Amino acid sequence: MHRGLFAIAVVLLAGYSAWGQNPPLANQAEQVRSLLERVERLEKRVAELEAKQPATTMVTDTMPGAAPSQKPEAEQAVPQPTLENSMKGHMDQNTVGQAETHYPALQIRGFADVDFSATDQPGTTSGFNLGQLDLHLASALSQKISYFGEMTFNAHPTGYTVEVERSIVRYDYNDFFKLSFGRYHTPIGYWNTAFHHGAWLQTTIDRPEMVKVGGEFTPIHFVGFLAEGNIPSGGAGLAYSLGVGNGRGDIITRPGDAGDNNNNRAWVANIFSRPARLYGLQFGASVYRDKISMGGGNDFREWIASAHVAWTRGDPELLAEFENVNHKSILTNTVSNSNAFYVQVGYRLPGLEKTLKPYYRFEYIHTPKSEVVFGDLGLVESIVGLRYDISSYAAFKAEYRHANRQVLSTPTFNGVVNGLFLQTSFTF
Amino acid sequence: MNNATKRIVASLWTAYWVGALLAWPSAAQTVRGDDIAVVVHPDTPVSDLSLADVRKVLLGERQYWTTKLPVVLLIRAPVARERDVVLRVIYQMSESQFKQYWVAKIFRAEAASPPKIVYSNDVELQLVAAMPGSIAFVDARNVRPGLKVLRVDGQLPGDRNYPLR
Repeated sequence: MHRGLFAIAVVLLAGYSAWGQNPPLANQAEQVRSLLERVERLEKRVAELEAKQPATTMVTDTMPGAAPSQKPEAEQAVPQPTLENSMKGHMDQNTVGQAETHYPALQIRGFADVDFSATDQPGTTSGFNLGQLDLHLASALSQKISYFGEMTFNAHPTGYTVEVERSIVRYDYNDFFKLSFGRYHTPIGYWNTAFHHGAWLQTTIDRPEMVKVGGEFTPIHFVGFLAEGNIPSGGAGLAYSLGVGNGRGDIITRPGDAGDNNNNRAWVANIFSRPARLYGLQFGASVYRDKISMGGGNDFREWIASAHVAWTRGDPELLAEFENVNHKSILTNTVSNSNAFYVQVGYRLPGLEKTLKPYYRFEYIHTPKSEVVFGDLGLVESIVGLRYDISSYAAFKAEYRHANRQVLSTPTFNGVVNGLFLQTSFTF
Repeated sequence: MNNATKRIVASLWTAYWVGALLAWPSAAQTVRGDDIAVVVHPDTPVSDLSLADVRKVLLGERQYWTTKLPVVLLIRAPVARERDVVLRVIYQMSESQFKQYWVAKIFRAEAASPPKIVYSNDVELQLVAAMPGSIAFVDARNVRPGLKVLRVDGQLPGDRNYPLR
């Protein structure tokens, strides 16, 4: 901008001088040189002013959302030039000292949502409900050790319950090997480890049914240890996670938080790729093995195989996941295969600063009649919705759902439910 | 040709040459001046990264230069041109998307802290010089001797095909 103004000024000056006399080229060159010198002096002065900003505001280590914008230069304090040299060394030390991480470096972030629902399912009522209040803690304990925690406060008819969703302490050896212990979201597929309990993070109002919190199909939580890291693979961008833990508990929707309910550990392996040439793409596969003890010697071997593909750039967004759950009764050798998938597409519209994202999701779950561990989870559902990002940290979502649930069908009701769902979700 | 016409022609001629004089010294600087250099602490054991590798570092997918040397990401605060270039070319995200990306990254326990936000090039350069493992993005004109400037896709700031501008 300085250069542009300068050029205009020079042209005007040159034109003015030429108006009254023949063009004296030597004088003009002199003028140009002196003006260039002046610009150089001004640029140097700007650099000096930048360097003299108060040390307390020079570096922040806060979450991106909390980072204040750069102050206009006019607002910045300018110390007296005579103090410059004596302050310089002190300022350098201060700046570096502030930028260094001091342990433990705890950061807290919260997620919350408020919802409204109205459906034509017999026996249900429409109305508002408070979604999960989710607190996330991240703390670097040293250069290589970190703690991550997630707690939710859940509204129930008789009060609130608090749940420790994740509690993980991790040691990073390097990018290829990180070892952690605690309670995780099981790294099966994509959704369960991509969005956790942050409704604001996900495009839609709810998780897909197959990875629903409190659902049976996927073991959402896992207590044990996990090794994870990148795999040296060049542009393929491969990464892995391998875990061993307690697996499903007596209630199969819950992990064995207080101890395993049998002497058989569950294990999980997950591998995925983020190719360098296709920035935004992730695809991968997972397997999970467990022994489920349902009491009375009624035990089952469980094999879960899953595959996913995700394109997360937003224009468009594509998420698709498939999962097959194989149960084999140890007592009778009866085998059942339940499967589920979802495909979700969204597109961040170019206008309105890309704040609008219409989306569609199709979900399908099939549980055969031979399935004993699960109830009847059969579902075919379509969801059409619109997400509007009110700000960088808050969103409003509206959805219409059309679902056919086998379990709801009765002689007088065909099991098809239509509903309108609204949500405002945010992070703080 | 009357006097008035002569003066107009003289003015245009003068403007042309002054413009040429102004353009000539800046032509050499334009490429370098518009380029954003990737600078690292001198002890960092890399000197050439592909743009995809730079992206991995900035996305927090590569968090260690070596087992004992973690990456320290320094990024200018909003409004700075360096930040605009980094967001546009490397992250390919808007300011909002960038903020959301790091919220999600930490929430997923994939990183313990976001990049450090720096409010001036001068401070950024001081930090790079002082903090082992640090990496920053600064206007190539402001790079000081003693810092290591990385090649990106084999190119240095000022080269014709340098990607960060």
